[in-house]
Amino acid sequence: MTPTRETFGNIPQSSQWAFYILAVVSTGVFAYGVWRRYQLWRQGQPVGWRELGITALRNMPTLLRRRPRPAAPAAAEIDAPPTLTHLSNQMELKAAIGPGVKRVLVDGLGQQRVKGRGAAGRAHIALFAGFMLLLLGTTLLELDHIAGWISKNLQFHHGTYYVVYEFVLDIAGLFFLLGCGYFLWRRTRRPASVGHRGSDWFVLGTFIAIGVTGYVIEALRIVWQQPHGIAAQCSPVGLWLSQAFAGLGEPGARQWHLAAWWAHALLIFGFFAAIPFTRLFHFIAGPLNLFLSRPAMGQLQPVTMEEVERTGRVGVNDIRQFTFQQLLSLDACMECGRCEDACPAFATGKPLSPKRVVQDLKHLMQDTLGAGPTAAAPRALHGETIAAETLWACTTCSACVDICPVRIDQLRLILDLRRHLANEGGLSGTAATTLRRMQSAANPWGLPASERAAWRPVATPPPAPAAAAEPASSR
Amino acid sequence: MDIPAAPTVRENPNFELLYWIGCAGSYDRRAQRVARAMVRLLNAAGVNFAILGSEEKCTGDSARRLGDEFLFQELATANIATLAKYGVRKIVAHCPHCLNALLRDYPAFGGHYEVVHHTQLLADLLASGRLKLASPAPGAATASVTYHDPCYLARVNRIHAAPREVLQAALNGTGAGPLREMARREERTSCCGAGGGRMWMEEPPAQRVSTQRAREALGTGAGTVAVGCPFCLTQMTDGVAANGSEARVLDVAEILAERLPANPASGSPAVATANAAGPAVASA
Repeated sequence: MTPTRETFGNIPQSSQWAFYILAVVSTGVFAYGVWRRYQLWRQGQPVGWRELGITALRNMPTLLRRRPRPAAPAAAEIDAPPTLTHLSNQMELKAAIGPGVKRVLVDGLGQQRVKGRGAAGRAHIALFAGFMLLLLGTTLLELDHIAGWISKNLQFHHGTYYVVYEFVLDIAGLFFLLGCGYFLWRRTRRPASVGHRGSDWFVLGTFIAIGVTGYVIEALRIVWQQPHGIAAQCSPVGLWLSQAFAGLGEPGARQWHLAAWWAHALLIFGFFAAIPFTRLFHFIAGPLNLFLSRPAMGQLQPVTMEEVERTGRVGVNDIRQFTFQQLLSLDACMECGRCEDACPAFATGKPLSPKRVVQDLKHLMQDTLGAGPTAAAPRALHGETIAAETLWACTTCSACVDICPVRIDQLRLILDLRRHLANEGGLSGTAATTLRRMQSAANPWGLPASERAAWRPVATPPPAPAAAAEPASSR
Repeated sequence: MDIPAAPTVRENPNFELLYWIGCAGSYDRRAQRVARAMVRLLNAAGVNFAILGSEEKCTGDSARRLGDEFLFQELATANIATLAKYGVRKIVAHCPHCLNALLRDYPAFGGHYEVVHHTQLLADLLASGRLKLASPAPGAATASVTYHDPCYLARVNRIHAAPREVLQAALNGTGAGPLREMARREERTSCCGAGGGRMWMEEPPAQRVSTQRAREALGTGAGTVAVGCPFCLTQMTDGVAANGSEARVLDVAEILAERLPANPASGSPAVATANAAGPAVASA
């Protein structure tokens, strides 16, 4: 007999109906939660989906075409250092869907940016990989079940496929539980840079209960089904756990199996409905932000005069002036604290934490919804929400941007806010003096342009340049 | 006509590479020494270059990052017009902030250039054999060196191999040993505290990023702290002093220039010899 197991085996028809009804309810709550957050992001400036699509289509040919090999340099150009052309090719910016999808696949599915925080990074990868495999497994199971409605011949959940499937999912559950266990332990340690919410305990508790009930269901099935050989061994954890329930006998095992199955199902529906209302929302906002953000370290968005004439402002002084994507990125933040750990301003006791900025903006975004597009926000963005000293503390070193696993651009948020301050004359002291000098003399020291080359060593004997007034190197 | 060791675009109109000096290199007494070291190296390698001289303006990096977008755009537009006037395509800069502005900020305003950091150019010149170093003076042991990656170079523009290659070439044979690395380096480097216009702001001594970063550099036991940015040069010099250390803080180019063959009139005849050595160098 080929190894297999019946989907919804031991589950009465009435329970199956109740299961599907609850699935719809859970999905409905989930969709309502996502819609609520989407309303928050919609307060921002439109993202230009149409434009995004058109750019993508226009760039399709170049995306599909392979990058041409650079031609051998002409003899006259040999002098040029080889890095020159190579470097500028790298810097080409392609606005298209392709890079967004790539970021979702590499940064999201590939977990490339989660690495590098010791055990926490590895635990996240274990939890994530386990979760995704279990999700995929459940989806395949449901597909097989639906296929069975059409024709029994379409079902694929048996034989070698079944053995591999059961084994992979059995191991995936271990990775999932290991990851959850680590994060539960870390919550008790409360590392300073990691944000803490009460709902975190609920989320992790639910996750662990889902994993454990999953194994219990499997163990109880093994008790009454009594599979032999490879059909049993392909579920090593379930088989091991089934020893604990061996004394129940078939009727007892079936009874408890149904109970555990319901507990497992209810936990999953609860968890799914809770996604948009807890930290788990990063399942949605994280990948969305990876897709929509246009990472461009060292680059800033220009402000045009037309824009200033249209909006009557420079920079951002109301949360609704950020873009849809910028507001969405606030929801992608997990408060993992990597940005705060990397921030030189925070490390030296200045009033700036990139994480704090993101969270403060997020709270303002939440509180502003309902005020209407023109009504005043409940709190002022400048001063009340983000203090000027916080904004001026940033050295624009990009450490936070570079380290964020979901590619939040904290620097651009800060710069948009700085632009407004600077335009309103909010900068005083030595920095303001510097800007005035740059305005009048095109250098921060306010020295004459004629002295710009006074440092030069001379090739020919006299005339030596007149000893220029050398500015002190102090600020 | 003799041309100066660092000719302007007017003095050497057939230049191949523009050397962007930047405001610090032009006016800051300490950073001027970096520009002079770089000129000696360029001439020793026979590179046909020019500078903008009085026509160069601040790139506007600090202005833009302080939030003064329109001052930045004014400066950028003026610089782009000047660069177009002289048909500049290739630029070398010793300031990562100038490099980033030219490379990342200017394209949005119509300025497209091939920009390299001076350490990248030097690494290439060393690798291709165009820049030849003298064997170190006997007994002149160099102190061990650590390198502080500037954030606008290493993190923002991912340039961290070239400065290390140059430093290693400069250290070979001097008995300084391999480069001493800090825990936070390359893309994960720490800021020196002067970016984003912070260079021009007062900072209470207890809150200085430079003091903390210099402590990390000195923690490697190195006697010389190498940098690749004029802002870092100032900051690390202050930071080393704040830590009560006597370690030297030098730009990568200065360290390499110390290894140039002795030259009686340092810097001057290099242009003439280079003309003889390399056909690619235009004669003025």
